[in-house]
Amino acid sequence: MNFKHSLVIYRKELREVLRDKRTIFTTFILPIILYPFIIVGFNSIMIRQTKSLEERGATVAVQDSVNNNISRQFIQDLMTIKNYTIIPYTKTTPRLYEDKDIQSIVTICDSLGSDGTQFFKVYIQYDKSKDQSRMVFNKLSEQLSQTEKELQKEFLQSSGISPDFLNLIDIRERDTSSAQKKMGMILGMFLPYIIIMMLFAGASIVAADLVAGEKERKTLETLLVSSVGRLEIVCGKYLTIITLAMLNMIVNLFSISFSLRFMLANQNTEMAGVSLPVNAILILLIAMIPLATLFAAILLSISTFSRNIKEARSYEQPLLIIAMLLGMVSFFPAIEISNLLALIPVVNIALLFKAVLINEYAFSHILITIFSTLLLDLIAILITIKLFQTESVLFRTEEESGGWKVLKRKPKTFFNPYNGIFYFSIALIVLYYLGSYWQVKDLFSGLIQTEIIIIALPVLLILKLLRLKPKEVLRLKTPKWHSFLFIPFIAISAQIIASIISQLINIIFPFPEKYLEALSNLYKMNETPWKVFLAIALLPGICEELLFRGFLIRFFEKYSVRWAVVISAILFAVYHLDPFRFIPVLLLGLLLGYLAVRSGSLYASMFAHIINNGMAFVLVTFSNAGWVKFIAKDGENINYWLIAPALIIFCISLYAFHKVTTKGEDKCVE
Amino acid sequence: MIKVENLSKVFTKKDGTNFYAVDRINFNAGDGEIVCLLGVNGAGKTTTMRILSTVFQPSEGTAEIQGWDIKKHPGKVRENIGFLSGDTGLYDRLSGREFITYFGRLYSIEDSVIAKRIKEMADLLDMNEFLDKKIGFLSSGMKQKVSIVRSIIHDPPVMIFDEPTAGLDILTARNIVSFIRDCKQRGKCVLFSTHIMREAERLADRIVMIHKGKILADGTLEDLRNISTQTDLDDIFVFYINQYTDEMELRANEF
Repeated sequence: MNFKHSLVIYRKELREVLRDKRTIFTTFILPIILYPFIIVGFNSIMIRQTKSLEERGATVAVQDSVNNNISRQFIQDLMTIKNYTIIPYTKTTPRLYEDKDIQSIVTICDSLGSDGTQFFKVYIQYDKSKDQSRMVFNKLSEQLSQTEKELQKEFLQSSGISPDFLNLIDIRERDTSSAQKKMGMILGMFLPYIIIMMLFAGASIVAADLVAGEKERKTLETLLVSSVGRLEIVCGKYLTIITLAMLNMIVNLFSISFSLRFMLANQNTEMAGVSLPVNAILILLIAMIPLATLFAAILLSISTFSRNIKEARSYEQPLLIIAMLLGMVSFFPAIEISNLLALIPVVNIALLFKAVLINEYAFSHILITIFSTLLLDLIAILITIKLFQTESVLFRTEEESGGWKVLKRKPKTFFNPYNGIFYFSIALIVLYYLGSYWQVKDLFSGLIQTEIIIIALPVLLILKLLRLKPKEVLRLKTPKWHSFLFIPFIAISAQIIASIISQLINIIFPFPEKYLEALSNLYKMNETPWKVFLAIALLPGICEELLFRGFLIRFFEKYSVRWAVVISAILFAVYHLDPFRFIPVLLLGLLLGYLAVRSGSLYASMFAHIINNGMAFVLVTFSNAGWVKFIAKDGENINYWLIAPALIIFCISLYAFHKVTTKGEDKCVE
Repeated sequence: MIKVENLSKVFTKKDGTNFYAVDRINFNAGDGEIVCLLGVNGAGKTTTMRILSTVFQPSEGTAEIQGWDIKKHPGKVRENIGFLSGDTGLYDRLSGREFITYFGRLYSIEDSVIAKRIKEMADLLDMNEFLDKKIGFLSSGMKQKVSIVRSIIHDPPVMIFDEPTAGLDILTARNIVSFIRDCKQRGKCVLFSTHIMREAERLADRIVMIHKGKILADGTLEDLRNISTQTDLDDIFVFYINQYTDEMELRANEF
């Protein structure tokens, strides 16, 4: 690869972008005008509005059911409030209040305390949803408590007690946070979100244009036949997006900070003139680069995949929404960065910014955040390079609109990746809403309903509808009997390995207590053991295999069976809606996919799945039996030394399985 | 020099069936020779040219450009070819000079050399007036001239023209035709594709007829006339297509 060529492309793309008036406007001019306008303008409008509300005053009706000296004193004092009109309560008062001619109704009643002294109950009727009404309430109650204080003072004086007795406790705060930290806390709420959005916006300004745009304008082929390599093209364009993302973000931040400073200086609070420490700003900038590169890489791959700019934009939308939702995490006050959260893209950067702004962060958080983001970035870049080398993607033509008629004629065209992802998304949504609703109502029957009605039944219905043979599509063929011999060994050793991996993950990123509780409840249903076995081993083994290794895997087999196994495993892991078990479930999915494809029979993976889940069930149910104690100390944690024999058995049995099954036994859906 | 050996390109259709866009074709083109790839739309002309310019990977067989194998040395192949098609787009926000310079730099040519070549070509093609204007403001004829200079900025020995006159007006098309002749005079090997019989008749030293991915005929216009006993290229073309269709039907009946 010749980096010089990438630089030539980079310079040319930047030159083109900077010549586009719309880009210049949205990236530079708009933010410079917008923020001062919004922040300073909004602030002054707000101050003015509050003032005018105060000046407008209010009309308050008073109903005095006590009518003694003290209550009259109350009313007298209320009349002293500036711009307030106090009128007596009449029959028409409720209607006037309805019509908003009266803002509040004050009712004074009296009552007797336990020792017989008289005290007053004052009801203030107002509309809490209205700013002005709330202001009236505050004014009235403020005035009433002042009157109360004065009356108490008089009373104490007349009884010969010092009025100072009223101020027995005088609370004063001693705030150890600096003005800088307070500023950090406020900025930490919304700044990460803004930064993330700006990076995304900046990147998306150019991304769609860079590849999809070249396809649309038919310049891409010219570029491809020049002597520049495809890697060099990807690199040059990638740098362009990063630059624009960073530029957009820096211009926006500059404008925001300038406007904020101006506003604070005007308000004369303690935060005026406070600035962030230089190292915080540096850390923010360094942590932002991986995020910019991640956005750039993802958007570039979208742009490469899309036929035209319009298509690229429509693919960008869902991504923007995901980034927004993830970025919003900074608004939640209780969430702080941890090693686990530092693994989640976008969330990690948002929380890291927040932590850096209040100066409470660990070095490990920065490292994990940067590396996990860079890792994803690398994956996205590799995908882009792969896409750039895929002819069918670079020269994609308009797709034949499918529709029911085509499906009826050629039912097997149903099995394409789009439909696969679509079907999976629907199944996931149904599981999330309907499945969890059933399971909350009754765990046992809920699990059974989920497996049969949500997971297995739709698959069979669709095949029926398309008039496809389930036996053929779902690989429901009898395998060679001797390949079955090895499956128990594979499944049991795999379960032990997966459990130990899960335990190791637990050490590094501890699972929350509540989660563990919920998980163990699953095995401790108030049902007879065979029913529990049915719900957590037998049915999942059959139904989930039908869906994942039988049905979903077929959508992705057109290009490569190997990738189909990987994708079905990823979907399988996502379907469990459980980030803590993602990796073990993913590994299990890979194994089951391999078993099904290699043997050409879904029964192989069903058998393995049932044994795998069944073993977990046995360990928990018979946790007190001696032989179980040999495997797991408390029915939950597997003894670590078992990893060695498990690995050996796993490798040998898998090898044996591989030997007795021959490649090519299986045929793809054509 | 172009040497095509047993070249095939298979595409997989949406329904999973395979389809030969180019089916085991063989032909050569020598230096100082203009070879025309003649065929109707969808015959496999563009696919062949995309394989030769290394944009597509061949499914079977291979080809050589100036002795460089397209599979083993795609970079070297691209350095040795100039590629031009009728519907190529340009970057509207760059000027003609910037556009050409950009590609020159991608071929690792020094800026001074690029500038010299641009000047030569601009004088020759009468482009000095608009060379520094943004391409977005140019007429299609001017744009095509910019594209021409772009395609030979690295002075390649082999020129590949994919339907170079498609969608152009008569005057612009004439520019292209004279440019192709000019390339031949400079001793370059020229391969161009077209579906217009007249263009093939006027320009080509040799005509390679392609239909449904297969080569039906390869020879000078004289050769083709003699074999088909027709004089008009239109009729020659139809003759070969009929021959091909008959052959296919015959083969189908054999099974």
